[in-house]
Amino acid sequence: MPGSRQACLTLALITGQLLAWNALPAVAADALPPVSQRFAGEPPDEVPDFQRHVSPLLGRLGCNGRSCHGSFQGQGGLRLSLFGYDFEMDHEGLTALSSAGGERRLLSTRPAESLVLRKPLLQVDHEGGQRFAAGSWEHQLLLSWIAAGAPGAGNPQVLAELRVEPAEVLFSQGASPVQLRVTAIWQTGNREDVTPLCRFRSNDDSIAKVSADGVVHSTGVGDSHVVVFYDNGVKAVPVLRPFEHRASSEAMRFRSRAEEPPEGIDQFIEEKLAKLHLFPSELCSDEEFLRRASLDLAGTLPTPAEIRRFVSDGTGDKRRQKIDELLDRPAYAAWWANKLCDFTGCNPAQQAELGQETSVQWYMWMYQRLRDNVSYDELARRIVLASSREPGQSYNDYAQAMSSYLREVSPADFAQRETMPHYWTRRGMQKPEEASQAFAHSFLGIRLQCAQCHKHPFAPWTRQDFQNFSRFFQGMKFGVPGESRQRYRELAAEAGLSVRGDEGAPISNEVLKQARRGRTIPWRELYFDPPAETRSLDLLRSGPVSLGRSQDPREPIMAWMRAPDNPWFARAFVNRVWAAYFHRGLVEPPDDLNPANPASHPELLDWLATSFIEQGMDMKWLHRTITSSHAYQRSWVPNETNREDRRNYSRMIPRRMPAEVIYDGVKQSLAATESDEEVRTDLSRRAIGHLSMRLAGTYAMQVFGKPDRAVNCDCERVNQPSLLQAIFLQNDPLMDDRLNESGWLRSLEQQRAAGTLPSGESLIREAWLRTLSREPAPEEVIRAEKHLAEAESPVEGVRDLLWALLNTKEFVLIK
Amino acid sequence: MLRVGALGTTISLSQFLGAQAAQGQSDSGRSAILVFLGGGPAHQDTFDLKPNAPVEYRGQFSPARTSVPGVEICEHLPRLARRADRYAIVRGITHSLADHGLGTRYLMTGNLPTPVVNYPMYGSIVSKEMPAPDDLPAFVSIDRPVEGPGYLGAEYGPLSTGEKPRFGQPFRVRGITLDDTISIGKYQRRTRLKDDIDSAFRGYESLDDSVRGLDRFSEQAYRIISSTRSRNAFDLTRESDREMDRFGRHEFGQSALLATRLIEAGVRFVTVLLEGWDTHQDNFNTLGRSLLPNFDQSFSAMLDRLDESGRLASTAVLVTGEFGRTPKVNANAGRDHWARAMCALMAGSSVRAGQVVGATDDKAQGPAHVGYSPDDLAATFLTNIGIDPKMEYNANVGRPITVVRDGQVIPRVLDVS
Repeated sequence: MPGSRQACLTLALITGQLLAWNALPAVAADALPPVSQRFAGEPPDEVPDFQRHVSPLLGRLGCNGRSCHGSFQGQGGLRLSLFGYDFEMDHEGLTALSSAGGERRLLSTRPAESLVLRKPLLQVDHEGGQRFAAGSWEHQLLLSWIAAGAPGAGNPQVLAELRVEPAEVLFSQGASPVQLRVTAIWQTGNREDVTPLCRFRSNDDSIAKVSADGVVHSTGVGDSHVVVFYDNGVKAVPVLRPFEHRASSEAMRFRSRAEEPPEGIDQFIEEKLAKLHLFPSELCSDEEFLRRASLDLAGTLPTPAEIRRFVSDGTGDKRRQKIDELLDRPAYAAWWANKLCDFTGCNPAQQAELGQETSVQWYMWMYQRLRDNVSYDELARRIVLASSREPGQSYNDYAQAMSSYLREVSPADFAQRETMPHYWTRRGMQKPEEASQAFAHSFLGIRLQCAQCHKHPFAPWTRQDFQNFSRFFQGMKFGVPGESRQRYRELAAEAGLSVRGDEGAPISNEVLKQARRGRTIPWRELYFDPPAETRSLDLLRSGPVSLGRSQDPREPIMAWMRAPDNPWFARAFVNRVWAAYFHRGLVEPPDDLNPANPASHPELLDWLATSFIEQGMDMKWLHRTITSSHAYQRSWVPNETNREDRRNYSRMIPRRMPAEVIYDGVKQSLAATESDEEVRTDLSRRAIGHLSMRLAGTYAMQVFGKPDRAVNCDCERVNQPSLLQAIFLQNDPLMDDRLNESGWLRSLEQQRAAGTLPSGESLIREAWLRTLSREPAPEEVIRAEKHLAEAESPVEGVRDLLWALLNTKEFVLIK
Repeated sequence: MLRVGALGTTISLSQFLGAQAAQGQSDSGRSAILVFLGGGPAHQDTFDLKPNAPVEYRGQFSPARTSVPGVEICEHLPRLARRADRYAIVRGITHSLADHGLGTRYLMTGNLPTPVVNYPMYGSIVSKEMPAPDDLPAFVSIDRPVEGPGYLGAEYGPLSTGEKPRFGQPFRVRGITLDDTISIGKYQRRTRLKDDIDSAFRGYESLDDSVRGLDRFSEQAYRIISSTRSRNAFDLTRESDREMDRFGRHEFGQSALLATRLIEAGVRFVTVLLEGWDTHQDNFNTLGRSLLPNFDQSFSAMLDRLDESGRLASTAVLVTGEFGRTPKVNANAGRDHWARAMCALMAGSSVRAGQVVGATDDKAQGPAHVGYSPDDLAATFLTNIGIDPKMEYNANVGRPITVVRDGQVIPRVLDVS
């Protein structure tokens, strides 16, 4: 319930003055006061700790940044680990001889003369300039550490929690800056005020700025986060300032009372809207809803007849019924198979074997699971734990089965297979380090790549975490296992495939032709080559996993992902689905879940993920729940309060149709009336359907941003407009062909010859319904009629009109 | 906003570019042509001959002297031999990706291909940094694109003509040439009708990025399609018979001529393809009878014309394939893929022409001393266009990415003031 959630938040409505640093009350009675106090005057009798004090201080001073000593080449001979956390390397770097002149960087006998101090004090030349003043606490702290012999870190201490107060900053107009205070709570129970040792970052400078000392200034209305970094802890603090407008809060209260209380998604959205003094826009019209929902759920434009039927339908819950009907269409499964292929990286050019054939199989396999509404975790399981051979299948039967999918005469159906191994046989999955990154992207929505070379700057991942996770993917091989080699060789000899070495060879075009003719050809396979001994591996900080000798290491990963408390698996998916229905994800970018990139509505994301799990990861439930919400069904037209809001779903932000959907939509707009249904339901001729992988890489798909799926990033699918798209829609030969071959225009031509051509106005209405899915406004009819009157013939006039409509912003946008 | 087309001849192109350079931060005012020799030309049979190697290595061609003392190139390139003072030869380029796809990606981006980052082709970087006049596309690929915009996004992809111009046949540029059934008047009427009825967002045009972007690009597309200058730039029938003869009436000649015209009109980056170098068999006939004579004629004409119009000084030219070919001739009189050694030509802009930089060993197997990587070649080419190869983009992969991370400008190739 909203109330109880609110109680959890420590809400700090700040109107008071900024308190002087030293006047701040201690955070907790038992917390150590900050180093800035302890080292302010005479050096205390304390030896600063390398991990807790020295290393964070170097980070705070910017020493380990990528343009300074964190650079992979180092700087001035000194190299520190980028963003810290490699204590051994950093300690070694600091205590080593300086490269220039062989001078020691640290002199414990004459600490003040250490280079490590003279450089940042600018007593000697330092490209990084002066980092602190003589006698400052920073100086004293480093001096004390050097004087004590510059002890290293030993075993890393574990940070249990980073607590920031206030937990949320809600500014009012003209409010004073707010000082954040940060307490580190270590697993040992020790607490320390670490505010002066933290790094602070604002996620949006136009809403709030934060000083190096953690003072937050409001710079504009809206909401964002200030992120605090210390050790490997990351904490995001929401910063909000309500929008300012003439509509009184009185009116808002009245309004909220007048409406039914929001439920589900909307309660979370509206709670935050109220906090920001935003009124949501009205709900969209039935015409807008139908177009939006049809395109988003099924990648398909509604037919003119369907629009008329829907608008005149008086049933109270007709939108809900329409959503259910759309979800039952095969086109829903087809469109969402594209999206799942995006997330998992289905790409003909990346397959180790027969790219075109395997990517089509991959797509069709996805399509069938979506059509059957297999639960998301089950679908994932059948990819994650996929093997080339079905359980109990011999190598010979496997080769026979794989060949049978390709034969020309009555081919067997790959999509019937229980599991889909092509995910694992991409080129980018061959090394464990590559596989772990791709896997984290596909199923967890997290980006591990940073941690391959250095500590992740925003997430808690260290290189050790990355290496541990990568080890799970060792032993997954694509080739020919020993027991299959003899049969493989026989098949290769029969097929005339020359094979060197034991790992087999790619299937050549010649050999593929034999499979088409119905022969069994030699197939390499995905198999697990178990390591020599039992291993204990840490699974992304969720604790160690013990792997038996012959155990498939992917099994514990799948079990872990399926656990209800898994922090990523369900969230990554619900967030991606959300992002497909709006202009952004709750977490944006949607494939970058990390603590420094928090959700705009964290409670909503939690609720959606938890409910999704409770619903047995029923994907249709998720689609239905999102599209049934008011948040999804709002008009794009702003009101006087929400013009500037782009984060809170107070109105629909127009989005461009995806590449495949535009491609199909142009065809649907121009089809003959009697093939209205067929051009939508015959998936074998649709870009969202069976043609999906065949069209991949073509000019039209490239221009409109269909992703190559060559790298681990959702950003590969581009929905931005571009010059080439405008040129394409205005003048590409493909568009000319479509307009010249339009079935509708051809039938109009026949009607004209027969003298049965309908009136200009009814043609105009039909053209609008076909393209923009709405009736034209009276002035639009008048303008179009004027054009038809001037055209060389009525049908040519309609052709021009269709060209014009397909080139409007309204056509390519989902609004 | 500047509209060169609308103002006719009142300001010159160089003034226009100067004005743009003052606006844009990194616009050097230069342009570039990339000639891609797809398939991997045999370095030892073109610009890096080894007459003293055993016959199974040196092949069938003899070297010929050039206008630059001490520099020799293949005997089948007589025109380029006379013009050796117009370009520099870079030998001893080396890498390890002897696969067409990967090699091309490497040579066309200057970054080792990886599954994590999709690097942009040079033309896309130019298209982002150096805008073209309003009524011209910034980046054109004659025929198909060689490589794509990568992380810079579709907006910076090339306008690809979709086919090569062929002499004596009408040439249609995908998206630019109007269909035969559509006059310019009809296109303009349609556009007016579109502007008339595109009213849904009236009053809210500036509210959302997508709406703003659609308006901007639709207007620019109209300017390009309806512009006389842009149509003329693509129209090879405006060239004299003499120019046709000079460039050659074959496909590559027509492509080279079109590339030159586009640069003259103000396009900033053009790619031209000459394919067929994947000579696993019959290498010497293929090269000697068609590829080399055609390349010799058209590339010479391109250099001459750029020089005559004074544009060579502001046009960076790079000629390269994706790799070289095996040192030893195989049983089919062919040579196979070989990435350990290859060569490239550079000309125009700041190139110190009339020299050879780098060398391979006596059998053309690999660099003789220090080799140069494709990254180095990329850094040199971009520098020659006036783009800092160490510039960074905040690509959508969560970290800043250096345009060419590992490459260094190859010493001596450029006159750096």
